[in-house]
Amino acid sequence: MKVAVFWGCCILTSQYSYEISVREVFPKLAIDLVDLHEENCCGDPVKSVNDFAATYLSVRILALANQTGLGNLLIPCNRCHFAISEAKKLMENDDRIHEKMTGLLKEEGLSYNPDIKIWHVIDLLHDMVGLKSLKKATAKQLKGLRLASHVGCQLIRYSDLGRPDDAELPSKLDELIAAVGAESIDYPEKLDCCGAALTRSHPDSALSLSGTKLKVLQTLNIDGLVVSCPECGIMFDTKQKDASSTVGAKLNMPIVYYTQLLGLAMGISLERLGLHLNQSPVEELLKKIPA
Amino acid sequence: MGITDLMSMAKPNPESRARIFSKIRRRELANCFQCVKCTSGCTALKLLELKPHEIIRLVDMGFVDELASSDIIWTCVTCLKCIQRCPQKASPYHVIIALRNLAVEREAKVPEPFLKAVSQILETGMAEAVQKVVTHRAVTFDRESLGLPKIVVPKDTFQAAFLKAMEEKL
Repeated sequence: MKVAVFWGCCILTSQYSYEISVREVFPKLAIDLVDLHEENCCGDPVKSVNDFAATYLSVRILALANQTGLGNLLIPCNRCHFAISEAKKLMENDDRIHEKMTGLLKEEGLSYNPDIKIWHVIDLLHDMVGLKSLKKATAKQLKGLRLASHVGCQLIRYSDLGRPDDAELPSKLDELIAAVGAESIDYPEKLDCCGAALTRSHPDSALSLSGTKLKVLQTLNIDGLVVSCPECGIMFDTKQKDASSTVGAKLNMPIVYYTQLLGLAMGISLERLGLHLNQSPVEELLKKIPA
Repeated sequence: MGITDLMSMAKPNPESRARIFSKIRRRELANCFQCVKCTSGCTALKLLELKPHEIIRLVDMGFVDELASSDIIWTCVTCLKCIQRCPQKASPYHVIIALRNLAVEREAKVPEPFLKAVSQILETGMAEAVQKVVTHRAVTFDRESLGLPKIVVPKDTFQAAFLKAMEEKL
């Protein structure tokens, strides 16, 4: 089956480990990804400047997806997924916006299709591929790994918009972790935010949010934290060292994207999953994986 | 100076209030009964003293100009817990976004990285600049050396459409 994919800025400009692992894992699950042509920012950072222009950027992504002729669009970033879902809803409910947007798209020779279905990595794997097929696709079960999950905010809120998982008790990522044989622990800070959205206005506070969560996680006797959003990846993995100095602690928590973890269970090599690109000490986690 | 201090000197502005109400569309801001669920779960409360329930009440009372020029609207982490948990379908998140848009329209102080994102999008289509990654073994990688497809910048027609969209003040 073919699915269109919109990566978004964070993945395309720095979170290569996520991109590589998604590109590696999905075709092996019989899902072939088709990149959009000449893609742009999803609009999220523009929401704070001009909400209308932000909506245009989101709607344009849906129009680019329409160009592929495919009915399903994968958006592996929580924030892009949220922005584009909000724009889609606005197009459905606000005739004035709909008219203005289609007018702007026309100037670019693009057209909007309301029937494109939006997916995230989490629900595509959990609901479309399914846990049973996923288990079948694994070459080995990652028995003995004790992990924590971080779903991120924008993937689960707000429910009125229609989100891939429950707002207060999300479980899909945990079930996906269990499907590869690892344990996903429950912990009180599970829904705490990574802080990424504060980076543009209060960068130190942003790091203190991610650092505080990592500090708590380090007391839980776990082997690593599993994320599935590039912004959370930036905060917990790429900037883990910066977060250490902000919260005055030594942070050394291995951070992996779920698609990397899944790839490991499928027997894919470390480099093909981009695991050499993670900035956190993932070697510690890899050591615990049964041969 | 805190918001409360600002308010003691300010006068409500019904026109600005109406602007925010039109920006947030059908959201039921006036239904807020100050249960404070939004503030008690706010990610930015402990860290930066954001109190969403106060923002809602102040907007409803018409103290919009003061909020639009205040730093407090830029402390929101957009975790969306406030809108999720509001029993009255008022959305502090959307009110804060509307206030930020108003601040930009009025050329109030806006954190520069937000405006930089806009100019970056105009230039390349992307809000971020492409980075290289250095591994633990001190090897530097970019998209090309990783075998990832080249990013294709949108044509000029995109720039024109985006600029036109930026002119809209809904």
